[in-house]
Formats: sequence, structure tokens, C-alpha cells
Amino acid sequence: MKRLIVILAALTAILMIPVAVSAQGYDKQPADAVIVPLGVAGTDYAALEPGVRGGTVYVGTISNPKKWNAVTAHETSTTQYTNIMQPGLVNLNPITAGYDPELAKSWEVSDENKVITFKLRQGLKWSDGTPFTADDVVFSFMDLYLNEDVETDTRDVLQLPDGNFPVVEKVDDYTVKVVCSVAFRPILNSMTANILPKHKLEQFVHKLHPEVAADAFNQIWGLDTDPKELVGMGAFMVESYTPDLNVVMKRNPYYYHYDSKGTQLPYLDKYVVLTVASQDVLLLKYQNGEIDCFAPRPQDIPILKPEEKQKNLTVLVNKEMPGFGTTWVVLNWDTQDTKYRELFRTLKFRQALAHLFDKDTMIRNLFNGLAVPQWSPVSYLSPYYAGREKYAGPVTEKNAVVFPYDLEKAAALLDEIGLKDTNGDGWRDFADGTPVEIELNTNAGNTTREGACLIIADDAKKVNLKVTTAFIDFNVLVNRLMGQEDYKAIYLGLTGGTEPHSGANVYMSTGGLHAWHYSAATGDITEVEKRVDELTNLAAAEFNLDKVFEYYKEYQIILSQDLGFLYTINQAFVYSYYNRIGNAQVASPNATPSGNNGLTMDFIFRKS
Amino acid sequence: MLTFVVRRTLYMLPLLLVVSLISFMLIEIMPGDYLTKMKTNPFVTQQTIAEMAKRYGLDQPPLVRYWYWFKGIITRGDFGTSFETRRPVFYTLFEGGRLMWTFIVSLTTMFVTWAIAIPLGIYSATHKYKLSDHTLTFFGFLGLSFPAFFFALVLLWLLVGVFHVGQHGLGIGGLFDNRFIDAPWSLAKLGNFLWHIWPAWLVIGTIGMAGLLRYMRASLLDTLSLQYIQTARAKGLSERIVIYKHAVRNAINPLVSLLGLSLPNLVSGSLIAATILNLPTVERAFFSSLTAQDDYVIMGALLFFSLFLLIGNLVADILLAWVDPRIRYN
Repeated sequence: MKRLIVILAALTAILMIPVAVSAQGYDKQPADAVIVPLGVAGTDYAALEPGVRGGTVYVGTISNPKKWNAVTAHETSTTQYTNIMQPGLVNLNPITAGYDPELAKSWEVSDENKVITFKLRQGLKWSDGTPFTADDVVFSFMDLYLNEDVETDTRDVLQLPDGNFPVVEKVDDYTVKVVCSVAFRPILNSMTANILPKHKLEQFVHKLHPEVAADAFNQIWGLDTDPKELVGMGAFMVESYTPDLNVVMKRNPYYYHYDSKGTQLPYLDKYVVLTVASQDVLLLKYQNGEIDCFAPRPQDIPILKPEEKQKNLTVLVNKEMPGFGTTWVVLNWDTQDTKYRELFRTLKFRQALAHLFDKDTMIRNLFNGLAVPQWSPVSYLSPYYAGREKYAGPVTEKNAVVFPYDLEKAAALLDEIGLKDTNGDGWRDFADGTPVEIELNTNAGNTTREGACLIIADDAKKVNLKVTTAFIDFNVLVNRLMGQEDYKAIYLGLTGGTEPHSGANVYMSTGGLHAWHYSAATGDITEVEKRVDELTNLAAAEFNLDKVFEYYKEYQIILSQDLGFLYTINQAFVYSYYNRIGNAQVASPNATPSGNNGLTMDFIFRKS
Repeated sequence: MLTFVVRRTLYMLPLLLVVSLISFMLIEIMPGDYLTKMKTNPFVTQQTIAEMAKRYGLDQPPLVRYWYWFKGIITRGDFGTSFETRRPVFYTLFEGGRLMWTFIVSLTTMFVTWAIAIPLGIYSATHKYKLSDHTLTFFGFLGLSFPAFFFALVLLWLLVGVFHVGQHGLGIGGLFDNRFIDAPWSLAKLGNFLWHIWPAWLVIGTIGMAGLLRYMRASLLDTLSLQYIQTARAKGLSERIVIYKHAVRNAINPLVSLLGLSLPNLVSGSLIAATILNLPTVERAFFSSLTAQDDYVIMGALLFFSLFLLIGNLVADILLAWVDPRIRYN
């Protein structure tokens, strides 16, 4: 009997072990865990290495988070945390910028491309231990993002071309269906939207619980919420927040990513983001060793480069990875002065202007050489970039439409359209003798944009074209760009993404940001604009990616030739980290070119 | 005296009302609003921005919005909600002990400034027109004319680039090193706090130092020329007693009212130093609300700063009456 008790006790002790391990913060591997093949040859992650567990990595940021609510957040100062805490069904691969299954295990498109069926990973748990099911997905889309009571800009990217919204239905506990009224491939991009825990949040949704106020959900998970209340499935969860000082994130014991050796990720115990109000001080803190990884400005590179050996850090400059987004000059085709309106609508004038952009000088003088010329509305990193051979193929720039810096050509084009100096004052005039003078605006305080404007004005002077510069308040600039105030020319940038459809609001003739030609929406449409609208719709409805590439190739070629936006330059990927941090070279915690999707810091580790 | 204080306190209400109206108008004159920045986000449609404007009341005319804001204060004591954080304005301004840190930083700075400037002022006055007097005055004015942001940045650069404090495990800026921020209070944490606070004393302190030093010097020189000092000397008192017991005690009186006047400086007056030195102060929260055009937070902060200005003036008047029996408010 005594022996039996001993055996039973021993058995209990053995059975208790997994529980004890779990209490220490490690959970057993779920059936459908994501395996990140770190260091496995032939995979995207071949250049990385499996790491060791433990430790903290410190990075810095400029501003405080505004809330912890991923749905109502609309700024990176907040989403840099919420994206870590709450992953979506799909996610952008941090290395290739393609789509990877995340909470979804796989997906299938059917019914004339109108239905996408997602198989969810099984055995996943929220950070409070509650199992994750299809209910959470349906709740996130139907009761949060697509609920009119909820303040969210994610609703905009879920809207289908016919104005409807998709319906997300539960098939079984681990299968959901996204049903669209029309075939719309970019909906996949919107499936990166954060998935939130139904069991924690449904009580705040008026639609499900009419006793709470309609605005209740918009108020929850504010900065005064106890971080213990926050629940997610991502690599780290917020542990504490000290305004103006730091945000501490702690590893999620239920995280479902594992490395190739079977070690649960993330490697780090903690990920700490210091809030430092000034970029200059952030640099000093990095030099002082207080933060481990740092996204330098171009002007910081000459300071950090000489310290590489002595401080055992790496400064990474990758011109093959310019950031998403575009920088351009736009001419106002709808300006009140009819002479300028006609001039700006003349393709040859826009071509002449494009030939005046000395992009090499801009790159050298404004970015210390750390930038690349930009020619297309689609980002260089996108698999649809026209400079590629095929979808996701190598960049050869064969199809890129380029306007090299050429003063003679610019002068010849200006002569051709009749802009000549008729009154002998040294500046070109209209055919009727009135002087041409174009004011180029950008936002005051942005020194690189101001510098680019000055370089353009200077080169215009060399061909006797009078371009003046005026640097104005950002909000005034935006009002002009939105067509609420008259202007002639603006130098500005827009954010972008891997999916060219994210530019629909800009490039389609009816878009709310079709900045050069708002009157296109009311019938004054050009042949090019018609074709761009067509191609956008064709590419959105097509699911064969090779065909999509062909549509977007033509789209980029005609847009680049038409010069609605005259593209300038784009900053290259610059990054720096101390060599004590492993796997930081490809996937930087706070500056990935593919955007801050929260997936990059789960395989960062501190070398022992 | 009591009626004076009550009357002055009551005067503050209409004053604050006028301040709020002017502030609101100034905010309205600023181009654009909280949502302007969102307009250049290609992912957000104009319709969503219009809906948000409606939700935040930004589609209403300014006077209507002012009235709703004012009504909220009178009826519910509600000073409005931040657009950014969706939390009450004073929570947004004061969260995480910002108010406490603001007072700790400024009170300690003030104490250090006074503790250094007053003795130096005395020294300067008693060594009138000597080389040491000129040297002190020179450095005082140098500190006054040095831009705070530049001084703070140079100081931090010296610590990092020349003294390599990082190699000794010491951080720069903020209130603590990384490992202490979330740690419970201990002697080590206090020591670390002192390491982080002295640059603030130096940077913010040097701005006030010169003025105070010159005040003290002038006041003491005035007193030293009075006849009762001559009498004290004539009756054979030692120079030390003449200066410290007879002269300084009277000379310091006018400076006491300066204490009251510097009250508003406690909550506003060190934005640039606080930004570079990364101190969590109310002013920094105010500054970020300005850049985001978070209207009601700006209003709340301006009212708060104005209140301190008014209280500071009142305290100065009271202190003056308290130290100088000749002044009475009746």
C-alpha cells in the first residue's frame, strides 16, 4: 500500500511537470504551430540562425502610444504595439513581403473568386489561456470592423468596388468563409487586420449587448486600462507603460511560433520600447548602448559608420530595399488660372519638368547617397513592381519608364510648346507674353523636401523656367492638396504598400486623393485615366497573379508616362544594431521595410 | 487679508473665462484640425473622415463647439475628451505621474538654483567690482544667453561621446536607467534618479541663475549702503554678523515675492529642456497635443497654466505683505 502511494505520488509529480512548466511561462506546442525555419537552407529564413532564449532587447521610439485598442487605432505610435499583440489571419512575410498564413493555416478561393475559405490553426490559445476559434474571427470582422458604431479606418480597406462589404461566416470552429459580392483579390491584403478576443470584448459591443452605449467599444482599452486586461495571441503582450519613458512588453507564453529546433518563440523574455522625444537624443542613447537597435536618419550614418568596429555594431544600408511609399511633385490641373491649367495639362510640359529633376544630386546632397530614384506609383519592393521581369521576379528595371536628368531635352520641350522668353527678362513667358511663374510648395520644417524643392527650382532656372519655392504649414499644404485651396505645384509623399490596389484612392479618377485632377471625378476624364480605372478593376478582380502582374505593369507604365505625379526619390533601408543582438540583420524590430507587422521581433535574440 | 484673498480668487473666474475664449479662438485660427493629417493617408476615404469629424463634433462651427465645451464644464465638471486617447483631458495631461514629476523636477531645480544663486549673489555684492564679481556675472549671463536645447544636447553629447558613461552602465536623459524604470524604489534607484536629474538642474537652473544672482547682488548692495549698516559697523560688530545678520536678512525680502512669481514656471517654462532631457512633464504632453491639434487637451493645458500664473501672482502678493509689514491690502 505504501509503495502504491509512493508510485502514485511519483506519477502525480511527473504529471504535474507540464503544469509547472506552463506556470513558468512555456506552453506545449499546438498542433498547428507556425515553424519558422531559421537557418534552414532553401527557405526565406536561411540567412538567419536559431537563437537562445532569454534577455531583453531595447529599442526607441519618438511618441507615446495613444491607446491599446487595435481597431480604433490609426497611428503607428499605437499600432507598433497592437500589431505585436494581435496578429491577423494572414501576415506579410518580413523578408519577402509576400503573404504568409498566420492565424489561418491555409485558404482557398472558390465560387468565381467571390468566396475565400480560411482554415484556422487548431490548438491556439489567447494570452489568457482561452482557446482561439472561428468565433473570434467572425466577431472581429462582423461586430467590430464592419460595425457602424465602431470608429475604425479598417472598414475602408474592406469595402468592395461595388460599395458592399464582405460577409464573414463561421463554417465550423476552425473554418471561416469570407463572402464577397464581387471578386476582389485585394481583400486578402485586408485579412492582415488584427483579430481580437471575443470573450473579452463582446460585452462592450452595443450591437451584441444593447445595454452598453453605442460608443462603448471606442472607449475601451485606453491607456488607463490595466495591461493585465489586454489579451492577444502575438509574440509579446504589454506588461507596463510609463508615459514619456517606456513601454515594456513581455513574452506571451501561449505564442504559437516555434523555431526549426522546436524552441518556442519569441526568444526574448522582454521587448522594451523607450520613448525618447528627440531623434538626436535617440541617436545619443544608441551610441551610449542604452538601445540595441536603431533606425538612423541619413545624416546619422556618417556618425555611426566610424564607430562600427570600436562599438561592435553594424550599420546596414540596403538600396535594394527602399521603403514603401512615394515622393513626388504634383501639378494642379484644376488650378483657377486657365493658362496654367492648360500648361499643366500639356504632357510635354510635364515631361520637360521630369527631365529637370536631378535625382542624383538630391540623393547625394539630401540623403547622403542613401536613396534611390523612383519612377513608378508601385513600390520597388512590391512583387508587382513594373521593373520586375515577372510577378515577384528579379528587378531589372527593363519596363520602368525613366526621365533622365537632361537640361537640353527639357529646354527643347519647353521651346516646342511655345514657352519662350518674349520680353527679354531672362525668364520664359507664355505665348501671349505673360511671364510663367510656378510656386512649388512643401511643408515647412521637412528639410529634405525643402532641399529637393530648391534643387528643382535651381535646375529650372538653368533652362530659364521660373520656379519659386514657398514652404508652408503642413495643414495648409494638405488643404491645397485636397483641392480646398488653389495652388500650382506641391512636393509631398504618400505611404504605400505591397498591394498596388492600396493606391486606388489616389490613382483612380474618382479617388479622394486623385490630387492632380479632381475634376476627373465629375466627367473631365482623360483616356489614360479611363484605362487606369479599367486596369485597377481588372487587377482587383483577377486572382491569377501572373495576369495581375501584366495589368499592373501596364498601369504603372501609363501612369509613369502620363506624369500625374512626377516621382522623385525614395530613401533606402538603413538600419543599425549592436552585434550582441542575433537575427537583427534582416528583420529589425522597429524598422522593417515591409512595415511594422509585429512578426519581426519574435526571432530576435540576445547572444550570450 | 482674508477678504483680499477671497476677492482675488473670485476675480480669477472671469479672467479664466476670457483666457479660455481667446485660447479657443487661437486654436481655431490654426489651419486644419485633428483630422487633417489623416487626409493624406491613401487608405482612408473622405467619407470616413467626414464621419469622424461628426463624431468629434469638428463639423460644428467654433462658437457652438465652445458653448458645448463650456456647458460641459459648468454642468458636469467635464473639461472634454482627448481626440487621440479618448480619455478626459486632464488624464491625458497628467497620466503616469506627469504632474508629480513636473513638480519634483521643478521644485528641486528651483531649490538648487536658489541654494547656489543666493550665496553667489551675496559674494558678488560683498566683492563689488572685483575680478571675482565680474567673473561670476559673466558666467551668470553666459548661462542666461545659452539656448537651453543646445546646452542640453551638448551636455548629453559630452556624457556619451567624451566621458563614455555608457561603459560604466549609466544612461542619459529620462528619469532612470532602463533597469530602474519599472523597479520598486530603493537606495540604488534614488541614486540613479540623482544621476539623471542633475543635467536638468544644470540646464534649467542656469537659465534662472543669472537673474537671481543679479537681484540678490543689487538688493544687498542697496541694503549695505543704508545707515543702520554703518551703525552696526560703527558699534564694532564683526563683518560676518553685519552682513549675514543685519544686511542679508533685509536684502532677501524682495526676493521672496519672486518665489511666488516663479510658481507658474514650475509647470511651464522648461519645455525644451524637458524634451531634450526626456523628462515626463505636463508641458511635453501639452506640446504633443499641440502638434496633434487635440483641441480640448490644448484648452485644458492652457487653463491649467493660466490658473498657475494667477495663483502665482496671488502668492507673490501675499508673501510680499507677509515679509514686509509696510505693505497692507485694505
